[in-house]
Amino acid sequence: MKISYNWLQGYFDKPLPRIEKVAESYTFHSFEIDEVDGDMLDVNVLPNRSADCLSHRGLAKSLSAILNIPMKRDPLAEDLPDKLPSKDLSVSIKDADLVSRYMCARVEGVKIGPSPDWLREAIEAVGQRSINNVVDATNYVMLDIGQPLHAFDATKIPEGAIAIRRAKDNEKITILGGEECSLTNEMLVVTAYQNDTPLAVAGVKGGVGAELSEETTDIIVESANFDGVSVRRTAQNLKLFTDASLRFQNRPTPELVAYGMRDVLKLITKIAGGEVVALADEYTSPPQTATPVLVSLSHVNELLGSNFTHDEVIGAYERLGFKCIVSGDVITVTPPFERTDILIPEDLIEEAVQILGYDRVKSDLLPDTQTKPDQSQFRGIEKAKDQLVADGFTEISTQSFAKRGDIVLANPLDKEKPALRTSLKENMQEALAKARQYSPRFLPPKEHPKLFEIGTVFLKNIEKIEIETSENTQLPKLEPSTDYKPKKETLGKYRKFSIYPFVLRDIALWVPYGIKSDTVSDLIVANAGKLLVRIDIFDTFEKDGRVSYAFRLVFESMEKTLTDEEVNFCMESVNKAAEANGYEVR
Amino acid sequence: MSQGRLHPITIAIRDIADIFGKMGFGVAYGPELESEHYNFDALRVAKDHPARDMQDTFWIDKEKGSVLRTQTTSVTMRELEKLSKNGKSEARMICPGKVFRNEATDATHEAQFYQLEGFAIGPVGTVTLAHLKGTLESFYKEYLGPDVKVRFRPSFFPFTEPSVEVDAWYEAEGSEGKWLEMNGGGMLHPEVLAEAGLNPKEVQGFAWGGGIERLLMVKYGIPDVRLFHSGDVRFVYAFDAP
Repeated sequence: MKISYNWLQGYFDKPLPRIEKVAESYTFHSFEIDEVDGDMLDVNVLPNRSADCLSHRGLAKSLSAILNIPMKRDPLAEDLPDKLPSKDLSVSIKDADLVSRYMCARVEGVKIGPSPDWLREAIEAVGQRSINNVVDATNYVMLDIGQPLHAFDATKIPEGAIAIRRAKDNEKITILGGEECSLTNEMLVVTAYQNDTPLAVAGVKGGVGAELSEETTDIIVESANFDGVSVRRTAQNLKLFTDASLRFQNRPTPELVAYGMRDVLKLITKIAGGEVVALADEYTSPPQTATPVLVSLSHVNELLGSNFTHDEVIGAYERLGFKCIVSGDVITVTPPFERTDILIPEDLIEEAVQILGYDRVKSDLLPDTQTKPDQSQFRGIEKAKDQLVADGFTEISTQSFAKRGDIVLANPLDKEKPALRTSLKENMQEALAKARQYSPRFLPPKEHPKLFEIGTVFLKNIEKIEIETSENTQLPKLEPSTDYKPKKETLGKYRKFSIYPFVLRDIALWVPYGIKSDTVSDLIVANAGKLLVRIDIFDTFEKDGRVSYAFRLVFESMEKTLTDEEVNFCMESVNKAAEANGYEVR
Repeated sequence: MSQGRLHPITIAIRDIADIFGKMGFGVAYGPELESEHYNFDALRVAKDHPARDMQDTFWIDKEKGSVLRTQTTSVTMRELEKLSKNGKSEARMICPGKVFRNEATDATHEAQFYQLEGFAIGPVGTVTLAHLKGTLESFYKEYLGPDVKVRFRPSFFPFTEPSVEVDAWYEAEGSEGKWLEMNGGGMLHPEVLAEAGLNPKEVQGFAWGGGIERLLMVKYGIPDVRLFHSGDVRFVYAFDAP
């Protein structure tokens, strides 16, 4: 989630450390910061905290605990206003399991117009577009405390009657922005009860039917809690991931609904005028009162291998706003209502170590074991590989996907290869053809590539490990081996190879007797230029007191396909150098 | 006739198995075509939970409940079950193996790659998060070099609590040192232990997992992850002979 440093600062009297320090604090104590750009921090809020931390308030609370700086104010700790009469408003919920709460308010006499500068700037600072004062107010409060909100033109909802129901198959709605969506019975819509017209895809996006216009004076504001699974599926099926759907799929507490409504009504009436005349609240399934979670200090330190003190752990919880009752070793913790993620002692242990710092957990070595570790299956496979390598085979690794097979993927990445391989043969043939083509690049002239692969194949009801070789050989057995010690190999320096074709040139030279081939080869390498990537000697003979050496040269460029002229140029400079040394190029 | 060569992944896994072997870890295997149960549900990666978005999955046509494993944690789960069936409460295992992710490929993403998963479990208080730090620090020091340091950062995985991201400080030859994200890990979630039939009041343990290609790419400066399983033998020969 993109947040603004200035917005965050608004939660504190004390000046925050500079933005880089804030980013570092988050990274090591709560969430990784993907990017810092000017005033903006892109926070990678983790899935278990997305119910309460996809908001400036949630992240301010987290920062307050990390830095141990008190918050100036916490909207979720402030009182809710008294209930208003629900006259002229009605809410009917058809699928109560998919809507745990639906709150709506009628505001009359608003003036739709541009947002005040502070609001426009706040919204734009986190990469959002300013629309108008009322829409911006709903977005602002969502970004501030995490509750998705929506505003409808009240004149499009006869008698203020709203119904939430499953969509009909193929029911259509044109969403804000103009795109038409075709709905299914799996999806939930907010409708005008009197004419059964869909007003919004519930929890995902509003429709154009009740869109605010400059003429709008009366609005109905929605603050609701829709089922996370349902919203998630709807967003996936419509390929419509919105700020609202992102929050609902992470299941914020329905308690938040009332706080969102309180804040948005306050903001709308402040910047767009108008008066709140009615409010309805259908609360179908309030959450159970939070049960306290018990954790003992010994559990904390036994799990972490740390030596945190009672005071440190309790201090961390208090900074997080958790209520603690201490009795001997045991701390009874009641988290605030928005922290729906705290369910077991281990959740509390994580909270403590995050705030106190993972650097406080010092490395420790496991004690030696009595029993010898079982690596026999692994060693058996490696034994087979060692035998094949000794027989001159080189190991390759190929993709498990194939054109045909017994097992077919429902969602292949490569449509040409939708199945799982039933044998390693096809890939081996392909790899061998390529290896032959490239062999001068890595093998001396008189050798040919020999390949093997050991990999998993997938048959109708069984998967198994198979060996495939590029030519006939005595195949080793794949059987566990307790005592075989796989050969240790060291990899040398990695040298990139080109994706462009290489060019071959042969050169044969007469040199005086006594000149070693290495001397000649060094001379060639020194004069052929950087495009020469490999040189192999392939022929030597003596005649009349002279020696003839024949070399194969491989030229390659990392940047392009080489032309004949470029390689000829290299060869000319080799020829010249050879002649200057008194060698005769044959 | 000259000798052939081993694939770099094989060489890496041998080094890994050797180093962890000295610390008492065995090597375990499991199926690549896995049930949803072992790949997701038993590991608390619930259906329709955003956590499943973290890994794009290959599903099998006409076989509901089967997936190409997205993580070798499925092997950890199977090993924990075996442990409980044998009435034991202590084990240390690494599970190197191929995993699959249905995501667009580029120089740092490949639809199939190798993961090194590992876990250690023992009576409460004997296998801690501090031991995870020490175990990984020992490994990276021996594998990457004596100057390596390890640090933890907060993270989330459904099957561990607490969960951490593990960074290693590494100075590659000829370049300045930096922190690299190496793998995820944490303390096995009590519900995962219970799902395996173990009693979370009596046993606890850590687990970690990360990509093996990435480790090699860091160590040798390999530019593109897609080279590993392309079947292109030039890649195997791209390393100077020792």
